[in-house]
Amino acid sequence: MAVVAAGLVGGGVAFAQDGFFRGRGRFNPEPAEARVEYDGRFSFVRLRYQGGFRRDPGWAHDYPRADWHFQRILEEVTFTRTLRDESNIMSLDDPDLGFHPIAYMSEPGFWTMNEAELNGLRTYLQKGGFIIFDDFRGARDWTNLQARMAEVLPDARWVALDASHPVFHSFFDINTLITEGYYGEAQFLGIFEDNDPKKRLLAVANYNHDLGELWEFSDTGWVPVDVSNEAYKYGVNYVIYAMTH
Amino acid sequence: MFEAFFRFFFEHSPAMFAQGEIRWAAWTGSFVAVAVTAVAIAAAVVSYRTGARLSLRDRLVLTSVRVALLLLVLACLFRPVLVVRAAVPQQNVVGVLLDDSRSMQIADMDGKPRASYVQSDFGALDSGTLQALADRFTVRVFRFSSTATRAAQGRDLGFEGTETRLGAALSAARQELAGLPLAGLVMVSDGADTADTALGEALLGLKAEAVPVFTVGVGRETLERDIQIGRVTTPRTALKGTTLLVDVVIAQKGFDGQSVTLDVEDEGRIVSTQQVNLPAAGAPATVPVRIMVEDEGPRVLRFRVPTMPGELVTENNHREALIDVRNRREKILYFEGEPRFELKFIRRAVTEDENVEVVALQRTADNKYLRLGVDTPDELVAGFPKTREELFTYRGLVLGSIEAGSFTGDQLRMIAEFVDRRGGGLLALGGPRAFSEGGYAGTAVADALPVVLDASLRQKDGEVMRLQVRPTRAGAASAVTQVGATEAASVERWNTLPVVTAVNRLDRVKPGATVLLSAQDESRRDYPVLVFQRYGRGKAFAFTPQDSWVWQMHASIPVEDLTHENYWRQLLRWVVDEVPDQVEIRTTSDRVEPGSTVSFTASVADKAFVELNDASVTATVTGPDGAVADVPMAWGGEKAGEYDGTFPAAAPGWYEVRVQAMRAGAEVGAAVSHVRAAPGEQEYFDATLRAGTLQRVAEETGGRYYLAGSTDTLADDLRYTGRGVTTVEEHDLWNMPIVLLLLVGLLSAEWGYRRVVGLP
Repeated sequence: MAVVAAGLVGGGVAFAQDGFFRGRGRFNPEPAEARVEYDGRFSFVRLRYQGGFRRDPGWAHDYPRADWHFQRILEEVTFTRTLRDESNIMSLDDPDLGFHPIAYMSEPGFWTMNEAELNGLRTYLQKGGFIIFDDFRGARDWTNLQARMAEVLPDARWVALDASHPVFHSFFDINTLITEGYYGEAQFLGIFEDNDPKKRLLAVANYNHDLGELWEFSDTGWVPVDVSNEAYKYGVNYVIYAMTH
Repeated sequence: MFEAFFRFFFEHSPAMFAQGEIRWAAWTGSFVAVAVTAVAIAAAVVSYRTGARLSLRDRLVLTSVRVALLLLVLACLFRPVLVVRAAVPQQNVVGVLLDDSRSMQIADMDGKPRASYVQSDFGALDSGTLQALADRFTVRVFRFSSTATRAAQGRDLGFEGTETRLGAALSAARQELAGLPLAGLVMVSDGADTADTALGEALLGLKAEAVPVFTVGVGRETLERDIQIGRVTTPRTALKGTTLLVDVVIAQKGFDGQSVTLDVEDEGRIVSTQQVNLPAAGAPATVPVRIMVEDEGPRVLRFRVPTMPGELVTENNHREALIDVRNRREKILYFEGEPRFELKFIRRAVTEDENVEVVALQRTADNKYLRLGVDTPDELVAGFPKTREELFTYRGLVLGSIEAGSFTGDQLRMIAEFVDRRGGGLLALGGPRAFSEGGYAGTAVADALPVVLDASLRQKDGEVMRLQVRPTRAGAASAVTQVGATEAASVERWNTLPVVTAVNRLDRVKPGATVLLSAQDESRRDYPVLVFQRYGRGKAFAFTPQDSWVWQMHASIPVEDLTHENYWRQLLRWVVDEVPDQVEIRTTSDRVEPGSTVSFTASVADKAFVELNDASVTATVTGPDGAVADVPMAWGGEKAGEYDGTFPAAAPGWYEVRVQAMRAGAEVGAAVSHVRAAPGEQEYFDATLRAGTLQRVAEETGGRYYLAGSTDTLADDLRYTGRGVTTVEEHDLWNMPIVLLLLVGLLSAEWGYRRVVGLP
């Protein structure tokens, strides 16, 4: 699927020309409130949480280019209708979070939450929401993510996913999960509804990986195209899976 | 009353005038009288003409009165006679049919049962009306309920018949008395016909043979105090776990404004109970009753109201309905043209439903499909079905946001035939690639849909309508929209559900369609949300929002809320409700009288639902005692693919009819149905005197209708039907009282007028 990112590499020129690089990123760590009125189209939703560095909050890493690039690729390769060059940032207790049953959290190693946010995420997942945890590494991050999710869903167990799971075949066929992640050898873990592997996945975690970073820079030439493509494949599969399961 | 007046003035009965012929029996003197009358008329004219004191008007009046008087006298001198054919005594037969059904036990004749009238007036050949008949005719007495059989006399009747078939009784009597000199038939009944067949056919036979029927109505046309379960509308079959919303009509007289308890029992277990306030002015109450059918197999539901004080008929306070509850997995194909959350949440809503299976074909990209919930590795492997045989294996079809251009012309016709010919349920969902926006206007699918598609009216790209959905009047009473414990709670729940969006321009629904849910968009225009219509053998639905999953995910919806699940579960169950199989079986009634014959019909079609007339069809009937009998079935020859069979239901109890159709050594399909042989209570429903029915029988056959107790002239009237062995009778008419009254009247008029104008 070399074509996946190739489209964006070309598209990146246009982004640059219309001042895209003047936007935020990790070098401009105070993204404004991003809110688009729901109109039935798919919107990338980045979850905002307390914690991390004030000037460089983990939740905002790779925003907005990762989010917008991903939406564009999703619309290019699938028939999903998405927002263009805009997306949402929401807190875990945002009343509008329900309009977007797929949400993305970056750097969950720094994630903290209050009671309202805890309840917000719990009901979101129980009602049918799906969450993607990305951009974290090492025991400290992983321990924090496990601890937070244990608060949200006390009975939930993380399970290492294998390549036979439908989430890896919902659009692209990802036949092996042995892959070099952004921070080392990647692992893909999930939480099943009622801890039953026959039921739907309600959370996935890309351990040692940072798909968002690869999406963000997919139009720059700094990352090999095949690496960006692989990162998009995971993202596209997660979305198609969560829209059908 | 009319009869008595007529007889007083005309001396004979109207029946005689109706049958007879008026002739003149003139004699020689009559012609002399013509001359005399002519002279008298001339004299009168001249006399009044020369009367100088008279005005023109006086002359005209007096001349006319005098001439009329003279002409009347002249007419009498020509001796008018009524020539009638009268039955020769004891040479003719009269068939007397006595109603032997249970409704004759109702005591609405001054506290006495209707049966007591029959027994006193028609009980024996030596008393009452039956004696009057026996004096003139040879009487053949029949008792009738479901059929007519001979009886010696009315006293032998037990009044235990569980049905009243007026038509069958009349036909049976007519056939038994064929060849005999029949003067007519007398039918004594309350007229409460419980037959399935129309009365017209029996009357046609009587009219063809010119057999008059004289009917005697027994009972009263209204009951002062009565409450009954008037009507219960239930489906013959239902899917296990379905919540039915059954309309129960409670008819009443004399209990205005009172409150009664309506109970529903499923094989003795109360499954619903509710208080009903009876309306004023004897109006019936229509009560929606919610029942969940949870047990598989034939179930008898009993709807019951308590006995009220002063009720004459208590047997009509309950009514039974049979529902064949089927435990099967109904397969629905959901074809979605773009990845969106609607598919996920609809599938999720019915995950726990063991009786509904949604197989999803999700188009994710151009020519790329994701198959979900398929039963075999080959199912839908080539995308949307390309043959009727493949598509028609599903019982329901949901079209998501998928444009018409993704189908071939034949596939679009196939989808329409899926509804029209296969009898499947089609549900079209809203979305940017659906309806007119998806290019369906002018296609075969547009014909099937309940909304009008106009290619020139499309929603602008990116324009979204935000809808607060509410049930319509029809929707509030429909099982599919019930999202609360009661109808009121359901309406309230709809009012509080979050707003959903739609992207399709839909201004009109088809004339035969029913809107069950609607909304107003931002410009206050009504927008159809859930619309339904029948199309051919099947049903077509349009559900227009693109994101009903908001009813599940919105922040205002608690986790434990099941509104979205219930709504979709109910809707999808309705989509596949009563969708036929390749082999279907139906009986004329779900209950028959013990001892009667059950007729049933099997319809057989191939996988493309083309009727088969060359199948080998056999029915296996299992009786209440477990005895199994094979019944061969033959193609009826009239309707394609329909095979008929019968079996006797001798003993009371359940009969299971299992039909299997074979063709070329392979099974086409099989079907099971149940019939119950049990005495019916039908006799007690609407058990008042049906004078209209009896009057119709009499009028159409040339007979007369009498009320019980007013049958004095019945025997005489029967003499002059003109049928059987008759003799010609001549009756003088000049001596009728009406003639005398006319003469006196004319004389008095002349005298009076002369007094008024001052003549001597």
